[in-house]
Amino acid sequence: MEVNPLIIVAIVLLMAYTFFYTPVGQIRNFLVLSVLFIIGVTLVLAVSEMPLFGSAEAPAYNNVALFYIEETVPQTGAINAVAAIITDFRSFDTLGEATVLFTAVAAALANLGALGNKE
Amino acid sequence: MDDLVTRSVCRLMVPFVQLYGAYLVFYGHLSPGGGFAGGAVIAASFILYALSFGQETASRRIAPGISHLMESGGGLLFVLAGLFGIMLGGTFLANKAAGFYMGIPGQLFSGGIIMILSFGVGIKVTSTMVTLYNSLSKRG
Repeated sequence: MEVNPLIIVAIVLLMAYTFFYTPVGQIRNFLVLSVLFIIGVTLVLAVSEMPLFGSAEAPAYNNVALFYIEETVPQTGAINAVAAIITDFRSFDTLGEATVLFTAVAAALANLGALGNKE
Repeated sequence: MDDLVTRSVCRLMVPFVQLYGAYLVFYGHLSPGGGFAGGAVIAASFILYALSFGQETASRRIAPGISHLMESGGGLLFVLAGLFGIMLGGTFLANKAAGFYMGIPGQLFSGGIIMILSFGVGIKVTSTMVTLYNSLSKRG
């Protein structure tokens, strides 16, 4: 079953209406429960459309996976395909991850005052 | 925490944990592992040391200044290895096109830039975790 994007937009609008514009009480509880029920049914329907575990027809098994399996050793010289993807084919992504780590440490040190700047 | 059993066990365990972390970093292109996992293992050994011996003893092993240098150095090593590819006539972070040593697949010195980048990422993850632990545990 194809899930219509309009349904999702309607659910989000219904949630916003429920949480911000209805008074606290039994009506609000009923509305919250009904919204949760709709979301739950949608999620279960979406899960039932997923391919089986290990199925050969899964959308993830396309020519990209085949390319990596065939071209890793000739193009990178590494026998670990995961490492070759992380640090060769997708090394820009790894550079971004290193930047994320650096930013996290810089923010933590700035907030905790661990570099010696006294308040 | 000052416990004889904990300190003795940690003194025995920490070298092996660090050796295993270095193995994970340097054999990242041959076996499961890589810079992130190996760096996390090495950082875990430092944190274990700090937990059992106290913050003062641990900061004599890896000083905060050294940790900050490693933090910047890991990222700089990554970027410089990438710029090296441009110098050698390839693109940024190019591997084979830049003429890095390919070697025979399956040997330790093979794969060109992959080992350098894993080393840089390993240093960076190690110092990130150690620095975060130090700065969070300083105030108690």
